[in-house]
Amino acid sequence: MNKAIVSGILAAGIAFAALPWLGAPAFWESFLYLLFHWIILAVSWNILSGYTGYFSFGHGAFFGAGIYGTAYLAGTIGWPFLATLPAAVFVAAALGVALGAVVFRVASVRGELFALLTLAVTFVLATIILNTKIDGGPGIYLLGVDIPKLGPSPSASLYMLGLVSAVATLLISYWIYASKFGSGLFAIHDDEDVAEVMGVPTYRFKLYALAISCGLAGLAGGIHAVFISYVTVSETFSITVPLSVVLMSILGGSRHWIGPAVGAVFITCLLYFFTSGDYAVFGRAMVGLILVVVILFMPTGVLGVFTNWRHARRKQQVMVEPPPAHEGVEGQAAPVVRLAAKPVISGEVLLQVRGLTKAFGGMKALNDVTLEVRKGEILGLIGPNGSGKSTFINVVSGHFKSTAGEIVFDGKDLTGMDAHRFAQAGIARTYQIPRPFGQMTVLENVAMVGMFGGEGMSRAEATRQAEEFIAFAGLSHRAHVLPEDLNLHQRKFLELARALAARPKLLMLDEVLSGLTPSEINEAIEMIQRIRDRGTTIIFVEHVMRAVMALTDRIVVLNYGSMIAQGNAVDVMNDDQVKAAYLGKAHA
Amino acid sequence: MKSLKRIVAMAAIAAGCLSLAASPAKAQSGAQGSPVRVGSTLALTGPLSATALVHKLVGEIYVEDLNSRGGLLGRKVEWIVKDDQSKPDVARTLYEQLVTSDKVDLLMGPYATGAILSAIGVAQRYNKMLIHHTMGVPSLAKYDMHFPAWSLGPDPGTTVPNTLFDALAASPKPPKTIAIVTSKFPSLHFLSLGAREVAKKRGLQEVLFLEWEFGNRDFGPIAARVKDAKPDLVFVGDIGLEGNMLLEAMKKLDYEPPLHFHLYPAPGPMATAPETKNALSVTIFEEHAPFTNDPVAAKFVKTYNERAKAAGFPYTKVEVQAAASFTAWQLLEAAATATKSLDDKKMAEWLKANQVKTIQGTLRFDKGNNFGDDLMRIKQVQNGNWVTVWPKEWAAPGAMLKQ
Repeated sequence: MNKAIVSGILAAGIAFAALPWLGAPAFWESFLYLLFHWIILAVSWNILSGYTGYFSFGHGAFFGAGIYGTAYLAGTIGWPFLATLPAAVFVAAALGVALGAVVFRVASVRGELFALLTLAVTFVLATIILNTKIDGGPGIYLLGVDIPKLGPSPSASLYMLGLVSAVATLLISYWIYASKFGSGLFAIHDDEDVAEVMGVPTYRFKLYALAISCGLAGLAGGIHAVFISYVTVSETFSITVPLSVVLMSILGGSRHWIGPAVGAVFITCLLYFFTSGDYAVFGRAMVGLILVVVILFMPTGVLGVFTNWRHARRKQQVMVEPPPAHEGVEGQAAPVVRLAAKPVISGEVLLQVRGLTKAFGGMKALNDVTLEVRKGEILGLIGPNGSGKSTFINVVSGHFKSTAGEIVFDGKDLTGMDAHRFAQAGIARTYQIPRPFGQMTVLENVAMVGMFGGEGMSRAEATRQAEEFIAFAGLSHRAHVLPEDLNLHQRKFLELARALAARPKLLMLDEVLSGLTPSEINEAIEMIQRIRDRGTTIIFVEHVMRAVMALTDRIVVLNYGSMIAQGNAVDVMNDDQVKAAYLGKAHA
Repeated sequence: MKSLKRIVAMAAIAAGCLSLAASPAKAQSGAQGSPVRVGSTLALTGPLSATALVHKLVGEIYVEDLNSRGGLLGRKVEWIVKDDQSKPDVARTLYEQLVTSDKVDLLMGPYATGAILSAIGVAQRYNKMLIHHTMGVPSLAKYDMHFPAWSLGPDPGTTVPNTLFDALAASPKPPKTIAIVTSKFPSLHFLSLGAREVAKKRGLQEVLFLEWEFGNRDFGPIAARVKDAKPDLVFVGDIGLEGNMLLEAMKKLDYEPPLHFHLYPAPGPMATAPETKNALSVTIFEEHAPFTNDPVAAKFVKTYNERAKAAGFPYTKVEVQAAASFTAWQLLEAAATATKSLDDKKMAEWLKANQVKTIQGTLRFDKGNNFGDDLMRIKQVQNGNWVTVWPKEWAAPGAMLKQ
C-alpha cells in the first residue's frame, strides 16, 4: 500500500468534512452528497465487476436492498436511522452472498449470462418488495425520520454520512487493489481457470468481492433512502443505477481503483451542468454525445489511458536500451537465484497417482494410470498426440477433476480438491500455449504466483522474488511490459518464470519447447537443468526427443490414455509397444 | 507521525481550495425594479418529461401574461426552471441550489409526487412556501407551508370514488357489480384501494380485484379475467397508456365493458382510440362551458391551444395537468398580491386563511395537510372528446353520462 495515496484519501476526506462549517451555500452539501453517492455506487460495483470481470447489472438490486432495508426499519418499524445502516449493509451483502454462493459454483455462468442473471435478481427483488408488506405499492415516506446531528444541519449530516462512506469505499477499493486479494481478483479477471491453478481460491475471492461490493451498495442505499425521503419500487429498482455505474466505471477505467470515482465525478458534474431548463434536452443530448466520444476514443477509460501511456513509456525505454541476455534492466547483472547443488534423487515418493482416470463423456482421455514421481527426478512423459499427456497434467494440477483414481502428493490426498489446493500444496505447471494474465505486466504475472503458490508470500515479498525469477528467465528488460508485447520464446520463458515463482515441489512442463528455434531450445534445456538443480522435481511433457533424452531420468509413455511403458530413456525407446505406438505395427 | 503531518497539510490545502470554490454566491438583490425570481424544477428529460413539458409551457404562458400585466408587485417576474431529469434526488439538490445559491424569491413546485416530496423537504428546511401542481398522495404532504393546486381534497381515496359512484347512481342504469384492476403505482394504488372500500360501503358487489406492477405491458390475462367476471363497471387504476392497452386487450377478446372508469389516462389516446368509447375519468378542468365562461380560463385555453400546437404536443387541449399548473401560478400571484409581499410566511398564512378563485373553481387550504375541497369531476369520452358529465353544474352544456 502506498502511504501517500492513503494519506491523500484521508486528507481529502478531512478537507471535505470542513465544508459545512465554511458557510458555503447548503446546496453544495447536496451536490457533493450526490457525488459521494455515485462514487460509492460506482466504486463498489467495480470491486466485483471491474476487478474480477464479472459484469453485474444487478447493482440496483443491492442498492435497492439497502434503500428498503433502511426505509422499512426506519420508516415503518421506527428504528433510529443510524442503526438501520449496518442492517442495510448486511441485507445487501447477504443477498449478494446468497446469489454468489450458487452462481459462482456454475462455471458456465460468466460474461453475459452473469450480467443477465444479476439483472433478473433486480426484477425478482422489486417484485417481492412490491408485493409484500415491505412496500406493498404506496412507497415508504421518510420525511419524519430523525437524522442524527453530525453537522450543523440535517443536510450537513447526510453530507457527512455520504462523505465518510465515500472515503471508506475509496480506501477499501485501494486496499483491495494494492493487496494480494486484489491481485487474485485481477487474475480471475484475466483468466479464471489459470488463476485457480496458480493457487487463487477463486470461489472464495469472488464471494468476498461480491459481499464487499453489495455491502457498500447497501450502505449507499441506506443513506440515500433518507436523502430522497420518499421511496418507491419503480424509482428504486429502475435501470438507472446499474446503467450509470457501468458507464461511470468504464469511463473512468474499471481496472483502476479510482477509475470509477473519476467517472462518477465526471458524469455527475456533466449531468448537473446541463440542468438549465432552457437547454435541458440539448444538454442531455450533449452528455450522451460526450460520453460516446470519450468511450470511443478511450475504451479503457481515463485511468486506462494513463496506465497504457505508462506501459508504452516503459516499453519505449527498454527498446532503446536492450540489455544483454541474462542481465537485468539497465545493464545491471541479473540477480542470482540461489541454486542448490545438483540434487540426488532421493527415492522418496513425491507424487503418487493410482488408477487415475479422466473421462469426457464416453471417451477416456486417461485410463487407469498408476505411476510415482520421486523427489528430485525429471520424469519424461511422452506419447503420440492425443495420448493423454496434457490431460494428465490438467488432472494432476487440479484443472480437471479426475473421474476415478487417487492423487497423493507429498503425503496429502488431493483427490477431488479444487485446483488452488494443488498449487498451495506445491504443484505448479506451464501451459503448452502460454496463458499469461493479459492485463498484468510480466512482473505482475510472476509476482502473482508467488503470492498464491506454495509459500503464499506477501505482495511485496512476491514482487521482490519475481524480479529474481524474471532475471533467471532473461526477461528483466521486459519486466514492465504486457505479455502481448512478448514474442513466443519470451512468453514460454514467462510461463517458466511464473511456474518457478510458486517455488513448487513439483513442476509440470507442458511442451515448453514447442515452437522454439534450435538455439532457443538449447537455452531452454539449460534453464530446465538449472531448475532441477535447485531441487525441483519435474514432469516433462515434450515431443522434442533430443531434450527428453538430455533431461529426463526416467520416462513414462502414454498411449490412448493408458500407460504402456516406463523406465530409463534407452530401455523405453526400445520397447516394442512404444515403437508400435509411435510408428505403428509392422505387418510384414 | 510523518504521515499524520502529511494528511493534515494536504487536508488544509484541500479545505482552502474548497472554501474558495464554495464561497457563497452573490446574494440577489431584492431591490425595487429587479425581477422577482421564481425558481422551480421540472422533469424536462427522463421518463416523466412528456407531462412535465406541459407544465413548462403553462409556466411560460403565465409568466408572459403576468409580466404583460405589470408583473408581481410592480416587478417583472423571472422564472428559473431547471431540469430535475425525473429524479427526486436531483430535484432536491436543485431546489437547494435555487434557495441557497441562486437565492430565488419564491418557489414553484416540480412535477410528480416523488420530486414534489423532495422539494417539500427543502422548502421545509428553509421555511419557504411551496405551491405545487400535481401531488397525488395528500397524506404524504405534511409541511404547513405547502399548497396543492390540484384540488384533490385531503381524502381522495374516499371522495373521488364517491363522486364517481354518485355520477353512476344518477345514471339510467346504475352498476351493481364492480371489478377493480389497478397498477401498483403509488398515487393510483391508494385511490383504487379506497374505491374498494367505498364500493363495499355503497353495496356494490366486487367481482374482481387485480393488481399489476407499474411498467406492465401484457394486459391479455387481466382482460380475460375481467371478461370472465362480467362486471357492470370496471374501475381501472391506470396511468398513461395502461388503460389503452387494457382496452385493446379486451377488444381482442371481443369484450367491451359496459362501463369503464380510468384514473389518470393519457388524455389524447384515451379520447381518440375506437375502443375507448364512453371511457370515464376524473378532471378538474375541461375546455368547455362552464369552465371557459371564466375569461381568464378562456384566454388561457386559446393561448395554450396555439402554443401547444406550435410546440408539437400530441394533445393540445387544456385538461388536468395544464389546469393544475395554471392554478398554481394563480395561487402564487394571488398570495403575493394580497399580502403585497414576497414573504413566504405571510403568503402562506394568507393562503390558509383565504379562498382563491382559479380556473378550476374556488380553492381553499383549511383541511388536512393544507388540502381543501375535492373539486374532482367526472368526465367521459364522447364523440372523440372529453366532456364533463358530473356534477351537473360543471357538465358541458347538454352533456349526459352515456352507457
